Amino acid sequence: MTARLFLQVFSIQARKLMSYRADFWLNAVVLFFVEFGIAYFLWSAIFRASGATEIAGMTLQTMLLYYVSVLLLGKVVKGTERDITVSTEIYEGTLTRYLLYPSNYFGIKYAEHLGLMAPALVELVLFGLAAVLLIQPSGSVHVTPRTVAMAAVAVLLANLLQFALLFPIQAVGFWADNVWTLLVMYRFASQMLGGLFLPLNLFPDWSQPLLAALPFKYLFYFPATTLLGQVDDASWLRGIAVTAAWCVIAGLVGRWVWRRGTHQYTGVGI
Amino acid sequence: MRYLRLYAHFLRFSVSRAFEFRVDFYFRIVMDCVYYAVNIGFFAILYNKTGLVGGWTESEAYVFVCGFLLVDAINMTVFANNLWLLPLLINKGDLDYYLVRPVSSLFFVSLREFAANSFLNIVIASGLMVWALRRFPEPLGTVRVVVYLVFLANGVLLTYAIRLAFITPVFWLHSSRGLDELNFSLEHLSERPDQIYAGWVRRILLTVVPFALVASVPAHVLFEGLTVDRALATAGVSVLFCAAAVLFWRRGLRAYSSASS
Repeated sequence: MTARLFLQVFSIQARKLMSYRADFWLNAVVLFFVEFGIAYFLWSAIFRASGATEIAGMTLQTMLLYYVSVLLLGKVVKGTERDITVSTEIYEGTLTRYLLYPSNYFGIKYAEHLGLMAPALVELVLFGLAAVLLIQPSGSVHVTPRTVAMAAVAVLLANLLQFALLFPIQAVGFWADNVWTLLVMYRFASQMLGGLFLPLNLFPDWSQPLLAALPFKYLFYFPATTLLGQVDDASWLRGIAVTAAWCVIAGLVGRWVWRRGTHQYTGVGI
Repeated sequence: MRYLRLYAHFLRFSVSRAFEFRVDFYFRIVMDCVYYAVNIGFFAILYNKTGLVGGWTESEAYVFVCGFLLVDAINMTVFANNLWLLPLLINKGDLDYYLVRPVSSLFFVSLREFAANSFLNIVIASGLMVWALRRFPEPLGTVRVVVYLVFLANGVLLTYAIRLAFITPVFWLHSSRGLDELNFSLEHLSERPDQIYAGWVRRILLTVVPFALVASVPAHVLFEGLTVDRALATAGVSVLFCAAAVLFWRRGLRAYSSASS
C-alpha cells in the first residue's frame, strides 16, 4: 500500500467524521464533561469524607489531572469506537471488494482507524489546554515538553495496539453473525484494566504484576502517567518495549485469524 | 387483557428468534457478566482505599450497584432492543407498520422485541442483589425490601422514559440516533451514588433528568426508610417525567411524515 493512498484514506475518514459538526461538538463536549464531572464529584467526595490529603500517593489535583489526561489521551487511542466495519463488511459481504483491490486490507483499515483519531486530537488540544489553565499541577505532576514528546510516542503506539487487539475480535465475524457483544466485552475489560475508570495504582498490590503483563495498561494508564511526568526513562523504555511486543503478538494472532477466516469466506452477505 | 395477550405473542416470537442465534445468545450472557464484574470491581477497589463513598459504606454501595445492575438487566431485556431500532423505524418510514395497528403505537414499538438472550442476566443480577442484601450487616426487614423493589421498578420505568425522551427528537432531527448517544453519556451519572454530586447538579439529577431516582433514591429508601417527602417527590417527578415523555412522543408522531421522513 502506497503512502499516498494511506494518507488519502486517513484524510477521507477524518473529514467524514468532522463533517457532522453539531454531532461532534455535542458528543465531544458532553461526554468529556460528564466523564470528567463524575470523576471530579466522586474524588472530591472521597477526599472530603476521608479528610486525607493523599490517596495512593495522589492529591485531589493530581487525581483530577490524571483523569483529564487519561480521558483525552484515551479518546485518541480509542478513536470514536465506530470502527467496527471489519465484522460488518464480513457480515454484509462487502469485504469482497477489498479483497479485489490491489492494496493491503490491513493498511486501509489502519488508515481508517487513524482517521478516527482526528476529532479526538481537536478535543485533546482544546480541553487539555483548558484543564492545564484551570487545574494547577502539583506534587508528583511535572508536564514538560519532554514528557509531552514521550507521551506522544506512547499514544501512537497505544493506538496501533488498540487496532491490533480489535482486529482479531472483528475477524471473529467470519464465524459468528454478531460480534458486537465481544467488542463491548473488550471495551469493558480494557477500560477497567487499562486505568480509564480508576488509576491502576489504586488496584491491590497482588494484581500489579498481572496488570503490567496484560496489554491494557499500555493503552491508557501508561501514556497518561507518562504525560504527567510520573514515568522515569527506564520505565518508559520498558513500557514502550512491552507495548511493541503486544502489537507484534496481537498482529500475528490477527493475521492467523484473518487467513483462516478468508479461506472459508463465501462473499455472501445479507 | 388484550395487551397482555399481545405481549404473550411478542414473548413467544422473541424467544424462538433468540434461539436461532445460539452463539450470540451465549456471548450476550458473558458480556453482561463482564459488565457486572467491572461495576462491582470498581467499588471493591475504591473501598480498598476509603471507608465512605457518597456517605455510603461498602455494604451499602454494593446494594446500590446491584440495584443499578438489576434495573439495567431488566431494561436490556424488555426495552433496549426496541428503543435501539426506533430511530431506524422513524427515519426509514417503517413506523407506518406500527401506526396502522389497532393498539397503542408506543406499546407496540417499545415492547415488541423481548431480548430473551438477556433474560438470564436478570436472573444473574437478581442473584447479585440477593448476595448484596444478605451480606448487609443490619437486618433490613421484608417491608423495606419490598418498598425498595417497588422503587427499583420505578427506576426501570424512568430509565425507559428518559431514553425515549432522548430518542424522540429523531422526528425533527432525522439524525441516525437522535440524542441517544447523549443519553448514553448522561446515563453514567446514575452509576454513582447521588450524594457525591453537589448543588445544582444533584438537584437536576433528582428532578429535570431524574437519573438519581433510578438506583440511588431506592437505596436511600432501603437504608433510611421511606418518608412521606421522599415518596411524594419520587412519585411526582416520575409521573411528570413519564407524562412529558409520552406527550413529547405524541408531538413527534405529529411531525412524522412517513417514508419520506
